[in-house]
Amino acid sequence: MNRATIAILLAVVLLPFVVRPVIAAEIWLFAIFGLGLNLLLGYTGLLSFGQSTFFGSAAYVAGWLLKHYAINVFFALGIGIGVGALSALLVGYLCVQRSGLYFIMLTFALNQLFFFIAYQWTSVTGGEDGMPGVPRPAFLGLDFKDPMLYYAFVSVLKKKSLWVMKRIVESPLGRILQAIRENEVRAEAVGYNVARFKLLAFVIGGAFSGLAGVLYAMLFGIVPLEAIGFVTSGNVVFATLIGGSGSLYGPIIGSFVFIWLSESMSVVWVRWPLLLGVAFVIVVLFFRGGVVEAWSRLGDKVRLWQSSRQKA
Amino acid sequence: MLYALMGLGLSLITGILNIPNFAHGALFAIGAYLLVTTVGVIGNFWVSLLLAPLGVALLGLIIEYAGIRRLYAAGHDYQLLFTFGLALILSEGIIVVWGPVGFSHLPPQILRGGVDLGFTFYPKYRLFVMVAAGLLILATWLFLEKTRYGAIMRAGIENKEMVSLLGIDIHKLFTVAFALGAYLAGIAGALTAPIRGVNPNMGVDMLGIAFVVVALGGLGNLLGAIAAGLLIGVAQAVVAAYWTEASTAVIFAVMALVLLVRPQGLFGIR
Repeated sequence: MNRATIAILLAVVLLPFVVRPVIAAEIWLFAIFGLGLNLLLGYTGLLSFGQSTFFGSAAYVAGWLLKHYAINVFFALGIGIGVGALSALLVGYLCVQRSGLYFIMLTFALNQLFFFIAYQWTSVTGGEDGMPGVPRPAFLGLDFKDPMLYYAFVSVLKKKSLWVMKRIVESPLGRILQAIRENEVRAEAVGYNVARFKLLAFVIGGAFSGLAGVLYAMLFGIVPLEAIGFVTSGNVVFATLIGGSGSLYGPIIGSFVFIWLSESMSVVWVRWPLLLGVAFVIVVLFFRGGVVEAWSRLGDKVRLWQSSRQKA
Repeated sequence: MLYALMGLGLSLITGILNIPNFAHGALFAIGAYLLVTTVGVIGNFWVSLLLAPLGVALLGLIIEYAGIRRLYAAGHDYQLLFTFGLALILSEGIIVVWGPVGFSHLPPQILRGGVDLGFTFYPKYRLFVMVAAGLLILATWLFLEKTRYGAIMRAGIENKEMVSLLGIDIHKLFTVAFALGAYLAGIAGALTAPIRGVNPNMGVDMLGIAFVVVALGGLGNLLGAIAAGLLIGVAQAVVAAYWTEASTAVIFAVMALVLLVRPQGLFGIR
């Protein structure tokens, strides 16, 4: 076991005692969401601003099935992963046609399309009021209504997701994606079908988003309209960037910082998204590179200070 | 027409500055709210219509000068996060200042009522908006095509390094382009206010549309932005007549369709 694994295990055990189990579970499911985006943003170099499309679609579909057909928890998770991947296939197919700014704008515009469908289709989604009454069914005698048990469930899934993502990133596929990030033209010239690999990254990212979406719906018992809105897409970008994109553990640190930040802000002021916006701007202007880099820069300063003291 | 105006402004900003401006919708909304407020204070629609977009342009100037200027080397992810943060600040700021509930706003006295066009009866104010937007687009086009500074701006879209090599202050150019784009967003918002009223969500709704227009028309392709804006507007109006609920979704459907047939956009260059 390396240090990162130990640190994560320690965090998983300690977290529910520091914050409420619900918030702790939200942090880890958001980390799963971030892992999916990071495969695109950090490893393939694709900035998707529409991740909530897959998150929200999966939450709605699986939530609907849980509510009306009382399906099994694991079946719901499977559905969520499937819906996330499928919606990512549809959206990704259109988006990988273009690159750069166009790509970003397309992911956003298609996110808006899904948002408006959810907004108008009130008989299913409840429109602006959200879709309430998503149950958390028991499984094999495990009653997930207990917040602590559900937290443990989410933590285990996060651990598994991290493991799967690690395998993907370190596999030949992961290397190809990184080659595309570094030099798209060259990857194409070497003989890889760049568009197809981008689409594959999109689908995998969508599957992770879908898993996170279902966990979210079961956690809060409701699928709010915001789950599919563009602010959610922006939040996950923020969480991934602040944690440090391109590092496997970045999104996990990032979602910890983000959820903690937004939870503490929402207590302070009803209009907390404004504060969040200010935080975004400050981070971009002064802390580019994320928490991981800010931490190492701080370490450098401390070491510099120590050595200057030793000389004196 | 208004979509074309929004798309034109966004196309200028994204084309020249090469940044995704997610605050464009918020600037649109600010334009609308400023108009309503200035009409309330001054009482004159025409003066307000002049002042409100100028206020938005000034805001754009400040945003570019204080923030975006530092981010040209930072990569799209941080630029996106910055403008997204700005959009959050501005749209939440609107709620703080003007309240969460939208309100309607009446056009000035002489533009109320409708005119008989022979084949159909059309509201006067909408006619005025069409003419005004058309004139604005024409003015922007003339500025970009016929003036020296406009030529420099178009050169900036084509090749930034070359423009700055030729001794032109590219940063000043960026600031002017952003302010101009903000102005166009602001005046589109101001013109919209008497038609649809104002509400805090208007910015986000418009933002998606503006991005569609730019994606279809091509970045920095001004003629493309105008054509795509008109196409989207017509498509939406036609669908709205038959199936109101789908009128917003159809915009994105049109975009998806065009991209399937022509991945490079309507007049794709890049």
